[in-house]
Amino acid sequence: MKRSEILARCLVIIATLSVLVIPPAVRWFNNRQAVELHARIAETGGWTPESISAQAGTPLHLRLTSDDVIHGFAVGKLNGPAVDVEPGKVTSLTLNFDKPGKYTFYCTRWCGLNHWRMRGTIDVTGKGLVDPQPAPAPLYMTLNLDLDAPHPTAVIPVVKPSAVRGKELANAHPIIRYLIPDYYRSHSPAQVYLDLRADPSLTILKDPQVWDLVAYIWQQNTTPAELADGRQRFARNCAACHGETAAGNGVFADDLAQFDTLGTSGDNRPVDFTNPITMLGASPVLLQGKIIRGGMGTGMPMWGSIFSDDQIWSVISYLYSYHFEESIK
Amino acid sequence: MTTPRFYWLLFELAGLVIAFFPLRLHFTEPQEQEFRIYASQYAYSPAKLSVNPGDTVTIELVSMDVVHGLYIDGYGVSVTADPGQTARLTFTADRPGAFRLRCNVTCGALHPFMLGKFQVGTNTLLWRAIGLSILTALAGVFLFKPPSQIKTA
Amino acid sequence: MRYELTRFPLVKAVLKNRWPQLVVYTVMLSGFLLAIMDGLVGTPVGNQNYAIVFVWIAWWAILILAAVPFLGRGWCAVCPIPLPGEWLSHGAILAPRDGKKPWLNLRWPNRFRNIWSQNITFLLVALFSTVVLTTPLVSGGVLAAMLMVAIGTSLVFERRAFCRYLCPVGGFIGLYAQAAPLELRVKNRDRCVQCAGKPCYNGSAAGYGCPWQVFPPGLTRNTYCGLCMECLRTCPHDNIALNLRPFGADLEKPSRRMDEAFKAFIMLGAAMIYALVLLGTNGTLKSAAYSVGSLTWFGYAVGSLVFILSILPGFFWVSVRMGQLLSGSIDPMRHAFAAFATTLVPLGLMSWIAFSLSFVLTNATYILSSLSDPFGWGWNLFGTAGITWQPLLTTLVIPMQVLALVGGLLWSIRIAQKVSAETHITPLPVAIYATMATLTMLGLIL
Repeated sequence: MKRSEILARCLVIIATLSVLVIPPAVRWFNNRQAVELHARIAETGGWTPESISAQAGTPLHLRLTSDDVIHGFAVGKLNGPAVDVEPGKVTSLTLNFDKPGKYTFYCTRWCGLNHWRMRGTIDVTGKGLVDPQPAPAPLYMTLNLDLDAPHPTAVIPVVKPSAVRGKELANAHPIIRYLIPDYYRSHSPAQVYLDLRADPSLTILKDPQVWDLVAYIWQQNTTPAELADGRQRFARNCAACHGETAAGNGVFADDLAQFDTLGTSGDNRPVDFTNPITMLGASPVLLQGKIIRGGMGTGMPMWGSIFSDDQIWSVISYLYSYHFEESIK
Repeated sequence: MTTPRFYWLLFELAGLVIAFFPLRLHFTEPQEQEFRIYASQYAYSPAKLSVNPGDTVTIELVSMDVVHGLYIDGYGVSVTADPGQTARLTFTADRPGAFRLRCNVTCGALHPFMLGKFQVGTNTLLWRAIGLSILTALAGVFLFKPPSQIKTA
Repeated sequence: MRYELTRFPLVKAVLKNRWPQLVVYTVMLSGFLLAIMDGLVGTPVGNQNYAIVFVWIAWWAILILAAVPFLGRGWCAVCPIPLPGEWLSHGAILAPRDGKKPWLNLRWPNRFRNIWSQNITFLLVALFSTVVLTTPLVSGGVLAAMLMVAIGTSLVFERRAFCRYLCPVGGFIGLYAQAAPLELRVKNRDRCVQCAGKPCYNGSAAGYGCPWQVFPPGLTRNTYCGLCMECLRTCPHDNIALNLRPFGADLEKPSRRMDEAFKAFIMLGAAMIYALVLLGTNGTLKSAAYSVGSLTWFGYAVGSLVFILSILPGFFWVSVRMGQLLSGSIDPMRHAFAAFATTLVPLGLMSWIAFSLSFVLTNATYILSSLSDPFGWGWNLFGTAGITWQPLLTTLVIPMQVLALVGGLLWSIRIAQKVSAETHITPLPVAIYATMATLTMLGLIL
C-alpha cells in the first residue's frame, strides 16, 4: 500500500476515534467524584437516581441537570438555598451532612401538575452529630387530632376583624392567657371567639370587638417577617394549586378537581382559604397537620419531610391574614 | 417614444415609494393597555396582541404548566413566570411594527417554536410587502417580454 | 457568459489534489459522527445539544443561505455520508488501488433511476420533522440511519447510489443547484467525442469514474453533478472546467421531468406548511405535528400530503391549462406542466431562504453556547457556554425575508416568460400562481 494511503487511513481513523472516544471519557472522568442527578417532570420519571447515599461529614458532590424543563433542587429541612436545575446545563452543588439520617430532596420550580411528586432521598450514614434526644412529635399528633373531620364554623364576623383595633381593646381589657402560643395554636379562631365571648370580663364588648381581639391574638403570635416568609413560601409552593389569592383557583385547580383516591366522589379542588366558614373553624394545629401529612384523598402533598415546623407555622399565619386586618387601611 | 428602460425606472421608483414612503396611520392617543396572557406548552393565549404606538402596555404572564417566559422581539424586554406566580411586565410600545412573542425559558421540546404575535399600529410592513409583490408581478409580466417581442428603440 | 475558475493553476491543483478534499472530508465526517453520538448520549434538551444546534441551525443555515444558492451542490462535494461506504467498497481512501474491484457494484434499477424515491424520503422526513428537529435522540437516529443506508447501498450498488437516488437532502439540493452561479462542465465537447475509453465515466488509475453516474460531456445542468472532482482528476485531455456563470443559468432550458416538477411542489408546499406550523402561533397545530402516531398527527400528515401533492400541483395544473387555453396551444399538458414547473425553482428556494432566516437568526446564539458545551454536560470549552439566548438582527430579518420573497417572485416570473417563449403558452396564469404563493408566504412569515 502506498504511504499516502496509509497516512490517509491514519488521519481518518484518528479523527473519528477521537470524536467517539474522548467525550465519553471526559464525562466518565468528571463523574467519578460526583453524582450526576437528572431531573425530568414527574410524569416521565422525576429524579434519576431517586435515592443517593452519602456519608456524614463527607462532602457530597452533585451535578444537576434537567432533561426537559426548568426544575429546582433543595434538600428538605436543611435550610440551604434552592438551586435552579436548567435544561441541558449542569449545576454543580456540594452538600455537607452533619447528621446521619434520611433526607428528602425535592423540586423547587413548578414543572407540571405532579411537580410536588418530584422527590428523592439521600441516605446519610456514618457517625455524625447525634441528637441527644429524638425530635419531638408534631403538635397535631400530640393532641391526637382527627385531621380529616370537617370543621365548619357557625360563627363568622360580619366585618373583617382588625388587629389594630384589637390591640387597643386588649390594652383596656387584658387577655394575657389567651395570647400564649399553646392556646393560640390549639384553638381555631372560632373557638377563640367563643371562649372570649364567654369570658365574664369581656361581656361589655360587642361581637365585632371580640373578633378584633381574635385578630389581635393572631397578630401577636406572628411577626411581619414571618408573614412575609409565609407569603413567599405560599407563592412558591402552594399558589399553583390553591391560587395566588388563596381562593382555591390555582392553575392546576381544574385538573385536581378530579383527583380522587378515596372514592369520595366529591369535588376535590384545592381548598379555598378565603372561605371564613372553613378557615375560621380550623385551628393552626389542624392546618399544621394537614400540611405535614397531606393526602386526604386529594392531590395535597405531604410537606413534613420538606419544611420545618417554623416554616409551616409561617405559612399558616399567612393564610389567616386573608381573614384578619393587620394594619389600618 | 417610451422604451423598456423607462418602464424599468418607473417600476423601480414605484417600488421605492411602496417600500419607504412614510405612513402615519395611527390617530389615537397613547393609552394604557393590560393583557393577561396564559402560557402553556406550547402557545400563548391570547396569542396575538394589538396596541397603538405610544401605548403603555402591561402584560401579566400566567404559566399554566411549567415555567415559561415571554420575550418581545424588537423590544428585547422579557418576563418569566412560574405556575402560581403571575409575573408582570410594563413597557411603552414606542416602536411600530409587527413583532413576535417568544418563550425564552426552555419549556420542553417545542420551546423554540412557542410563539405569539405583537402588533404595534398597523402592520405597514406586510402591506408594503404585498404592494411590492403585486408591483413585482406586474413588472415581471410586462417587462420580461421574451426576446422576440421586445421592441428595440 | 462563463468565467473559468480552473484556468488558475492553483485552483486546479488544489481541486485535483486529494489531500485538501480529504482534510475537509475528515472534518465533516468527525463532525457528523459527533452529531450522531451527541444525539444518542447527550442531553435530551434540543437547544443545548450539538446534534440539533449544529445540524438544524448551523449546517442548515449554511446550506440553504450560502451553499445551495451560491455553490449549487457544494455541500454534496464535502458531505461525509457516502464516505465510509465508498471507502469500504473501493478498499481505499485516496486514489484507486490496482486491481481492486468494488463489491457487488450492481446497477441501480432502471425503474428507479429518477428522483421519485428522493421525493418520498424527503416527505417522510418532513412529516416527522417537528420531532426530528427538536429531539436529539431522533435526530441522531435519522443521521445514523442515513449513514447505515449509505454504507449498505455502497456495498451493493455501483457508485454513489445513495446520494443520487435516496438522499432526502440531495433531492432538493440538486433541484435548486440549477439556480447557482457555479457549474462544472466540459470545455469542448469535440475533444470528448475523440476520447478513447472515456475515463471520466469509467475511471482510471488517476481516479474513479463519476460517482454521481453522470456522463460529463452530457452535463448540461447542475442537478446531478456532485462536484466531487473525480472527472477533473481522470480526464486525460484537461477538458473539465469549473465555471462561474450567471445565477439561474440552468433554468433557461426548462426541464421536462415530472419527478423534478413534483420535487418543486414538495419543497414549496413544505416551506408553507413549516411556516404555518412552526412560525405560527397555533399551539394545537404544533402539538399535532409533534405527537407522532396520534390521531391528530395522522390528520396533520394527511392534510399536509393532500396540500403538497394535490392542492398545490392542482392549482398549478389549472394555471397552466388556462394559459394553454388562452394561447390556443395543443401541446400535451404533461410537457407544459413540467416545463412551467421550472418557475417554482427560484420561488421555492427563496421561500426556504425566507423561512430559514427567521429560525436561524432567532436561534443562532445557541450555536455559540453549543460550541462550548456540545453534549449539555456542563463543559465550557471556549468560554461561551453561558451565553444567554437572544435573537439576532431582529430588525433586519423581516426586510431580508421580504426581499428574498419578492426577489424570488420576480425571478420566477422571468423564468415563466422564458418557458412561455419556448412553449408558446402565456405565462400570465402561472405568474398569478407565483404571486399568490408569494403572498401566502408573506402572510405566514410576517
